[in-house]
Amino acid sequence: MNFDFTQQDLMLFKEINDIMLGLAGERTLEEKNPLSAESLVRKALGRLGNSSYLKLGIVKDEDIPGLCAMMGAMEIVSSHSPSIYLSIEMSTRLFGRIISTFGNEEQKNKWLSPVLSGKAIGAVALSEKAMNIDNDLMAATGIRENGFVKVKGEKSYVVNGPVADFTAVAGMMENKPALFIIEKGTKGLILGKRLETIGFDGTVFSGLTIENCRINEDQVIGPFGDKSILNTLRIWENQIILGSCLGMMKSSFESARTYAKTHKTGGKPIIAYQEVGFRLAEMLTLFQTSQLFAYRAVSAAEGKNREAEVLTYCAKVFCSEAAEKVSGWALQILSGEGYISGNPAERAYRCAKYNQIAGTSTEISRVKIGDAATGA
Amino acid sequence: MDFDFTKEQLMFKQELIRFAKKEIVPRVQEHDLKGQFDFESFKKLGEFGILGLHFPEELGGGGADVITTVLAGEALGEAGVDGGLTLAYGAHTFLCADTIFRHGTEAQKQEYIPKLASGEWIGCMGLTEPNAGSDVASMTATAEKKGDKYVLNGNKMFITNGPIADVAVLYAKTRPELQHAGISAFIVKKGTKGFSAGPPLIKMGVRTSHTSELIFQDCEIPSENLLGNEGDGFLMAMQTVEWDRSALLAPFVGSATYLLKKCAQYAKGRVQFGRPIAQFQAIKHKLADIRIFGEAARSLVYRIAWCKDQGRPLNHLEAAVAKLYVGDWSMAPTFDAVLIHGGYGYCHEYDVERIFRDSRLAPIGGGTSDIQKMIISKLI
Repeated sequence: MNFDFTQQDLMLFKEINDIMLGLAGERTLEEKNPLSAESLVRKALGRLGNSSYLKLGIVKDEDIPGLCAMMGAMEIVSSHSPSIYLSIEMSTRLFGRIISTFGNEEQKNKWLSPVLSGKAIGAVALSEKAMNIDNDLMAATGIRENGFVKVKGEKSYVVNGPVADFTAVAGMMENKPALFIIEKGTKGLILGKRLETIGFDGTVFSGLTIENCRINEDQVIGPFGDKSILNTLRIWENQIILGSCLGMMKSSFESARTYAKTHKTGGKPIIAYQEVGFRLAEMLTLFQTSQLFAYRAVSAAEGKNREAEVLTYCAKVFCSEAAEKVSGWALQILSGEGYISGNPAERAYRCAKYNQIAGTSTEISRVKIGDAATGA
Repeated sequence: MDFDFTKEQLMFKQELIRFAKKEIVPRVQEHDLKGQFDFESFKKLGEFGILGLHFPEELGGGGADVITTVLAGEALGEAGVDGGLTLAYGAHTFLCADTIFRHGTEAQKQEYIPKLASGEWIGCMGLTEPNAGSDVASMTATAEKKGDKYVLNGNKMFITNGPIADVAVLYAKTRPELQHAGISAFIVKKGTKGFSAGPPLIKMGVRTSHTSELIFQDCEIPSENLLGNEGDGFLMAMQTVEWDRSALLAPFVGSATYLLKKCAQYAKGRVQFGRPIAQFQAIKHKLADIRIFGEAARSLVYRIAWCKDQGRPLNHLEAAVAKLYVGDWSMAPTFDAVLIHGGYGYCHEYDVERIFRDSRLAPIGGGTSDIQKMIISKLI
């Protein structure tokens, strides 16, 4: 048992923090304008690509820390900007991980290398409007035709949808799940309008329509023997969401704490009042518990512990619900200032709901945890 | 980072669970119903080596590390041992015996530890008073030095094992004017003239743990019964916090696993509206919440234990976080467990009823949740 990060991990955290501070400068990292948002994400990718951050959890190397350090680093990026974090993670730790885990050498050279070096943005199109991929078959399909594969379907809520250089579209081929890698500009890949969302101001979400897109056979990953690939993608997505939650709690808690220690009323800082001080204590308790939960979940996944999947669901429920509570309480402590757009607590509060919905929703996660308890 | 136990620790845990299920658990219900302390089970814990697990072998202990010791508490909870017995064991080993082990002279250690480790003697710790709980420094019990004796006067309250203890670690002021710096610790044996225990208090839960007042009226003890130095008492009491935030919380972690198994078993067997209630999402959600609590609490508790094994000074912030989480969040799973069992969950025959009552102590005993919030808010 060991609850410490290594010196290598701590040095990585400092490096990542410095990069994000350098990126922020005097501007917001939550850029609403889609062109500016894309530009900022590419800039962030470029800078982070010079560190080992983008390789965490993807490249196995003794110089590259493991998944617990990955979670610690994710927390840092997410605390600086939930939007840049989500965009980067869907590109590297979801798209990049697909190619790294299931792609051949040629596919890795073509799509993984540019993503890991920060030169390209990836996206993964999983969800479809009318169905829950946990229960229903995907409607998107790929059919072999004259040496090519013709892909068609509609996908919803794709992070990086309009800006991705490469998109992995999940669908069915020969009645089995497969992933179709479609490059930007491919005929038949129709990018939807950017979706206006409650949070993640600087992340570009859209739907995608794939209208008889012709791709080469070597742009197909799979088909896979069973649906477990979809489960794997959801677990990876859940891990990304854990990092997002930790970052939100870190930035919310720290801003509320700073405010409480400096803002005075009745001649003393408001942290001296139990209503505020005790609330901060509850926030920190949820935050630290979430951290340990997230580290343990990814550690179990890394060790291929048979409980890893259910632990990830448990952590996902806990951390995502904790993030909403912590950010909401932080906003309350910040009072009028908390209600003004742009502060970390307000931003985190608006973003928090996404993490309860995306990946495996908290409802489905609880069902799966309950099923694990009864052996269903 | 690594959250895994060693193979040996896991084997020990399974062995202890087997032992507890066979030797202790069958006696729990009856003792809880009657509000009786289970001397036989306590003795068996001693025979198994649990009561002195972390003490050196030369003092009759098991020489185990802190994680293994904490794991023992979890194992007992997971086996279905009730909160009363685990509390009694916790107070005996970690609040009484461990204080003597840490701060006693060689002669004191030799006299008390082997008997406490074996369970031949039962120990208690007298700190809280009727008018000094969270504000322990305001205690009024005194210890006046007179020649080669100390004369003790005062009352202690809510003392676990109070009515049945053979030996007490007692905190009293040798220098009342110094407040907490004037508190000293003493060893008092049962039968000492002027020392008596009140009758067991009738409590909502942990009913197999006997709790009472301790009364000291001109109680004379030899001066060699002083533990450590005069004025060291407050620090000694605070040092028991390490165990309070790990070993005494561990049974709650184990109990969550026990609750989950019981609820899952009941839900699979209980058929309503043509199907087992385990198939209803509302029940799955409750099972999930029980599981989530247990897993969340686990890491917090073992973080404290691991740091103690590394020889680090206690991180008071992390300790308070662990106690606050377990204290405040442990009741909801027991509430859900009763609900899953419906009417049966309201009956004593079903363990969930007892666990629900027992859990109410969690945010109170060993430092209330409000005190933990006070500590955390001061440290941040």
